[in-house]
Amino acid sequence: MNERILTLQQYLLSKKYRELRSDEKLSVPQKQKSESQMMYSARFFSYITEKEEAVFYGKDDTLGFHLHYNNQISDGNQFGNLTIDYKKVLEIGLDGYFAEIGKRFQDADSKGSEFYSAARLCLFTLKKLVQKWRDKAKEEGRNRLYDALLQVPEGGASDYYQATVTCKFMQYALHLGGCRHITFGRFDQYMKPYFDASIANGMTQEELLNETELFFLSLNFDSDLYSVVQTGDNGQSMILGPEINDLTEICLRASEELRLIDPKINVRVNGDTPLSVYERGTKLTKQGLGFPQYSNDDVVIPGLVSLGYKKEDAEDYSVAACWEFIPSGNGADIPNIATMNYPKVVEIATKKHLRFSKDFPTFLQKTEKELISYAKRLIREKNKYKPLPKPLLSIFVVPCVKRGRDLSDCGAKYNNSGMHGAGLSTAADALAAIKKLVFEEKSVKKKDLLKALKNNFVGYEGLQKQLLACPKMGNNDDYVDDIAVRLMKTFSGYVNNKPNNRGGIWRAGTGSAQEYVLSGKKVGATSDGRNAGEPFACSYSPSLQAQIIGPLSAIQSFTKPDLKETINGGPFTIEIHDTVFRNEEGEKKVAALIKSFFDLGGHQMQINAINRDKLLDAQKHPEKYPNLIVRVWGWSGYFNELDQEFQDHVIRRCEYGEN
Amino acid sequence: MIGKIFAIEEFATFDGPGIRMSVFLKGCPMRCEWCHNPEGQSPETEYKRNQNGCLACGACVGVGGGRLVEKSVEVCPRNLVKKCGEDISCDDLCKRIMKNADLLNATGGGVTFSGGEPLMQSDFVKECIDYLRPKVHCALQTSGCAAEETFQKVLACCNFVLYDLKLMDKNQHVRYCGVDNELILKNYETLASSGKDFVTRLPLIPGVTDTEDNITAVASFMQRLSVDKIELLPYNKLTGSKYSSLMRKYTPSFDGNIAPSPRVKIFTGRGIQVKVL
Repeated sequence: MNERILTLQQYLLSKKYRELRSDEKLSVPQKQKSESQMMYSARFFSYITEKEEAVFYGKDDTLGFHLHYNNQISDGNQFGNLTIDYKKVLEIGLDGYFAEIGKRFQDADSKGSEFYSAARLCLFTLKKLVQKWRDKAKEEGRNRLYDALLQVPEGGASDYYQATVTCKFMQYALHLGGCRHITFGRFDQYMKPYFDASIANGMTQEELLNETELFFLSLNFDSDLYSVVQTGDNGQSMILGPEINDLTEICLRASEELRLIDPKINVRVNGDTPLSVYERGTKLTKQGLGFPQYSNDDVVIPGLVSLGYKKEDAEDYSVAACWEFIPSGNGADIPNIATMNYPKVVEIATKKHLRFSKDFPTFLQKTEKELISYAKRLIREKNKYKPLPKPLLSIFVVPCVKRGRDLSDCGAKYNNSGMHGAGLSTAADALAAIKKLVFEEKSVKKKDLLKALKNNFVGYEGLQKQLLACPKMGNNDDYVDDIAVRLMKTFSGYVNNKPNNRGGIWRAGTGSAQEYVLSGKKVGATSDGRNAGEPFACSYSPSLQAQIIGPLSAIQSFTKPDLKETINGGPFTIEIHDTVFRNEEGEKKVAALIKSFFDLGGHQMQINAINRDKLLDAQKHPEKYPNLIVRVWGWSGYFNELDQEFQDHVIRRCEYGEN
Repeated sequence: MIGKIFAIEEFATFDGPGIRMSVFLKGCPMRCEWCHNPEGQSPETEYKRNQNGCLACGACVGVGGGRLVEKSVEVCPRNLVKKCGEDISCDDLCKRIMKNADLLNATGGGVTFSGGEPLMQSDFVKECIDYLRPKVHCALQTSGCAAEETFQKVLACCNFVLYDLKLMDKNQHVRYCGVDNELILKNYETLASSGKDFVTRLPLIPGVTDTEDNITAVASFMQRLSVDKIELLPYNKLTGSKYSSLMRKYTPSFDGNIAPSPRVKIFTGRGIQVKVL
């Protein structure tokens, strides 16, 4: 990191630039009666762009493109959590889209005409937005940027700097237009030609590292305004690999040096990935940012193909904001539209069926039936969802322009829906405890268990201890792991390939998103010994109540299910004490552990270097840790900016390897 | 045979090559002032209480007449009292290790018998190693404080040894570790000439083991035996944190706030490679 980047980083962390934003509350333009929702969306974007002001931060040449208003307004549609076709944007620029639309306009049907009109207005607005920043850059003598803006993003990029300007502009403009969680996709692959062009122009690797750091830094200025559920949850992820090129290495190094929450790095691996790649990734993990997150092509690609994705699209997959595997630039999948709440299902089944089940297999079958009807209800309910038109975003997702159809009208190639699977470990543990204590040992009476659960274990503390001592998922114990395998199989078997209402299908996953905390609140005490309202594990991990022997047992437990069947994604998450990373030997062992998980058939993994004592201290003395970063669910954020319940969850996760 | 252990760790990163499981055997003849595993000292089962979240209700010590006892585990409303010391058969222990054998082997790792002092249960350790060794790499982490024949017996069957030296001066050794160092030095000589793969370790305790005199003596001793590598373990200020859970006080006579001096040059000057962990 050079002096200039360091100064900019200090400026970013000081948050002083936020004073330059406006607190003014813009009024939301009303939709006119005669106006279609499609045109309204385009006009809304035009309105907000008119209001937007180009304000550069800092004296130095940041890339600019910062949202000016603290209070973002919306046209009521936050379509997103996908990646646009950056490759094409970089090649043809905004004007290329103009030309394509112009060509198709005359032969369009009425729906097509409407879409093209709206898309054209959006493109026109985008050009005005570019003009605004270009004028400002000229006025302030930011010559390098000004020169770049004479060519991009209106035209195609011809070198790496121009390409980063285009990417940053797109990210900014789409957020300005109310699109959320627009991820960067396969950055090291589509940027490579521009990287090579700059090398050919005589730039050094070191200079291109600086360029990358400047770009990464610039993404962090608007992190807070892009966020959705919690600060940091802003969708600025990218996925690198599996072919590791010079740019991949530079991205990893930039992220490692900057230690900022954006962009969140994912790395694709496969059976041929050498240990050295994991070792490289572990150096980044060591920084405590909670990334990279890894995904295993050997599981993901066949999983996507079995869901109907074309092989070439499956091979070109990216991740959505958190972990959901999505196609690159041609999908309008909504991978987070529903969540299977496994413990809720077990709660329902326990209340309804435990009393009348003669043995455990009967009870398990009843539970599975409840699981299916829960999924069925979710699908029925979510299949009513009709996204509103979003012409601005549709332009950049293929083949909307070719088809003359908006994303909301199935303009994209893929229009699938995803269902997360939250709290699997809690559910499996609860069923294992019932199996053991109620049906096998018969040491607990059904009615006592039901009463204990109803009373949240008050007056049943002894019973709660018995439940807590039962087998838990994560200890490589088939007794409970087999139950988890069955629940997942039932879940994915029912959900996968069920039709949705947008011409696509449903996909089952292992993620939880924020639901590990929020859904946890809606579930009473469970028979694994968990108290009412307590959170579940984050995504696909041992429950907070489980005493886990160690990571070797855990990775074996969590690779027993066939993870090709839950390709909506959701990482196995593991916390490793930060002292393990104190020398290269420790780092190498962490890398070997990650590789082991994938060798066993794992689909996705996320590793945190964590120190409980430090986090506890940070809760007490936030002022001492202004820049402490933690992984929350599919993203990393500043510890101090999280709600306490999310802070608490990070602290309670199982931690391995403190010697 | 039955052994007594106080922990099994699955991802012990500093106990030998590759990913390793560590088995911690209970009981140690030494009483090093800086011991960071005080629950490994007594060969008897003990009970410990995690202070984090303790309501100070007194139920645990109430049932034990002021001490933590078996019943304390049951009565703690927060589940903070844990048994420390598990009797386990060689068969059960080895089966638990074998469940991870493929993963351990794939990373060039294995199992490390640690403690406490594993040689206090040498027959048990030997039986486990004999069972495991055809399939899993077995290491011994020892202070070397054991009868010569005991040490030789286990040395002969394991693949790798992590050997701790502390103080070369006999009186100092008695003062800080509670025992004479004669056997330790003798066993070390045996190890050095055995042809077995091993690593020497020295904890750096400020003002105690990191003095110029001691380090010079250690380095000369190693040089005489043609040992060419050592790992130094700087004193960790968190060492004392486990004592309170055993209701014991940590009262070292040295000042733990002083940074230890590795004096690397004394070793390298004698052709000994140094790794500071």
